[in-house]
Amino acid sequence: MTRALREAAWTLVLSGMLTSGSIAQETIKVGIIGEFTGSFATSGESYRQGIDAYFAKNGDVVAGKKLELIYRDAAGKPGDAARLAEELVVNEGVKVIGGLTLSSEVAAVAPVMTDAKTPFTSFSAAAPGLAAKSPYFVRAGQDVRASGQAAARSALKNGKRHAYTAVSDYVAGQQAEEAFTAEFKAGGGEIVGQDRIPLSTVDYAPYAERIANANPDVVQIFVPTGAPAVSMLQAIGARGLMKKIMVIGTGAEAEDNDLHLFNDSIDGYYSVMYMTAQLDTPLNKWFREYLVGKFGAEALPNPHSVGAYDGMTIIARMIESQAGKQFDADAAVASVLGYSFEGLRGPMKINDDRELTQNYYLRQVQKVDGRLENVLLETFPNIKP
Amino acid sequence: MLGEMSSIAFIILYGVSYGLVLALIAIGLVVTMGLMRVTNLAHGAFAAIGGYLSTGLMVKGGMPFPLAVLAASLVVALFSIAVERAFYVYLYTAPELEQVLLTIGLDFIAIGALTFFYGPNVYPTPLPFYLAANVDLGIQSIQLYRLAVVAVSLLIIAALWYMFDRTTLGAQIRAAVDNRTMAQSTGINVSRLFSLVFALGSGLAALGGALGAPMLPLEPLYPFKYLILVLIVVALSGFGNVKSVVGVALLVGIVETAGRLLFPSLSGFMIYLLLIVLMIWRRDGLFVTRRAQ
Repeated sequence: MTRALREAAWTLVLSGMLTSGSIAQETIKVGIIGEFTGSFATSGESYRQGIDAYFAKNGDVVAGKKLELIYRDAAGKPGDAARLAEELVVNEGVKVIGGLTLSSEVAAVAPVMTDAKTPFTSFSAAAPGLAAKSPYFVRAGQDVRASGQAAARSALKNGKRHAYTAVSDYVAGQQAEEAFTAEFKAGGGEIVGQDRIPLSTVDYAPYAERIANANPDVVQIFVPTGAPAVSMLQAIGARGLMKKIMVIGTGAEAEDNDLHLFNDSIDGYYSVMYMTAQLDTPLNKWFREYLVGKFGAEALPNPHSVGAYDGMTIIARMIESQAGKQFDADAAVASVLGYSFEGLRGPMKINDDRELTQNYYLRQVQKVDGRLENVLLETFPNIKP
Repeated sequence: MLGEMSSIAFIILYGVSYGLVLALIAIGLVVTMGLMRVTNLAHGAFAAIGGYLSTGLMVKGGMPFPLAVLAASLVVALFSIAVERAFYVYLYTAPELEQVLLTIGLDFIAIGALTFFYGPNVYPTPLPFYLAANVDLGIQSIQLYRLAVVAVSLLIIAALWYMFDRTTLGAQIRAAVDNRTMAQSTGINVSRLFSLVFALGSGLAALGGALGAPMLPLEPLYPFKYLILVLIVVALSGFGNVKSVVGVALLVGIVETAGRLLFPSLSGFMIYLLLIVLMIWRRDGLFVTRRAQ
């Protein structure tokens, strides 16, 4: 009796395993390397939000296969990112890797990806020339030089002729400054002062003082999001410059999701970015409402969540191109060249050099219904770095 | 000429206000390191907790800024007695490496806790409207907040000076700094004195963190971010030398501010240059009168 029962039970279990095996959908694995701890952890959180929204909108099945995301935490360390990328490809068998917040991580991961023939995209790294590091790299964020150029054009268009640049002293800041300077001079403007501010700076008041003393009519800013941006912009606000001259940011200093960190002295701050939380397209509106509904009032779209969503669109396109075939990395990358699509940030096109042509938006922080908001002033369409 | 005058005024005003906040945070560390001989790397954590607490009281509790700063400093001072009884008592006789390891561990716990409760981002400290305004001093306009920081810091430093120099408690502390065994044998309860001084030091750190929060923004990594600056002040002040802390902190504040204003790209190095020069020239501390061996 007991024996018969046991056999029956085994048969049931075995048949259950067999059928579930045959019913289960084929999956395809995608690795996401991001910052989920450490000082850049807010970007990792935004990645999760953007990806969550992507699945809510598009489902998780691409070309008949279920997308399985495997998250890894690089915690801001390029060496770890390279090791994790290798582990994802070798042990987990991922076909594409996304995420990679920092340009230094992209640079570290690039040789691994080239050897492993695995396409990868960065949702937010902004250094120029990343595509040259590996033929499998596709950009989903921006080249920071385009921000600098768009800011210079905005300033010139607003009749500004005397510019000051104040950027944090690291690659992204330097590139933004150089791009702004070249474009501003080419348009007939004059640079009255330039500061490269050490990242270790804690009290930014002396820089605000230097800017005020040089008497510019526009000042370009590029400071990392978080404590540096808050200190720098509040020092400028306290010096009374925000209302007096055009203070224009190029480095996501004060995106809408971060505006609650600032006091009212930021009112009047200009910035240029390739996305904007208040962009009035049906897709972005849906995204904004989805994020706020699910993650709270402060979870407004930012470059990281938008980059993750649009990056997932690019990854899905690559996987779709290989439907019904053995996944071929070269063909997958080739399939997105020239690909034009409607992103959260507006129309996007992947160029043949795997960089993006996209819109840039001039915004200004204003009080709307008692709340600080980046109000869209002007769109610079189809900018190519 | 007016430009130069205004630059000098700026360096003095902003350097002094920045230096005094550093002094408030550093005094506590100089006292605890000097008296207790504990390399207390967790000192910055008390400053951070003070800042978070006072900002929380302001933002969530609607408390006015001065009251919130005071309340946070007192709470941290009391809390630090518990920490001292729980951890630091074991460190007094431990080798320096163990002191460093344990206190840096406390830093990590503080960073983890702050991230958990307040998130990884900056925790903004709103400035009350009556401090946010600028006043024009003729040659240079300055934010009222900076002047308030200078006034409050000077007041506290004067009170500390009075306590150290003119009261029995101060005499006891100085005695214990100079020679612990001797102090104990004259009937001073050094163990109780330790708790008291530790609470005072941590409370001052919290005060610096809370008062300085609009200038040095709060973030979970705060305990490490300002540790180097504070340690520089401590190193240049010399062991347990409270009076020279103020002078050294002012010097550091002014050199940093002047560096940023005059040599902006090199300003990251200025402070280390100062440190190297002074450490070679005056190894025992800047304002320390050398004792006969």
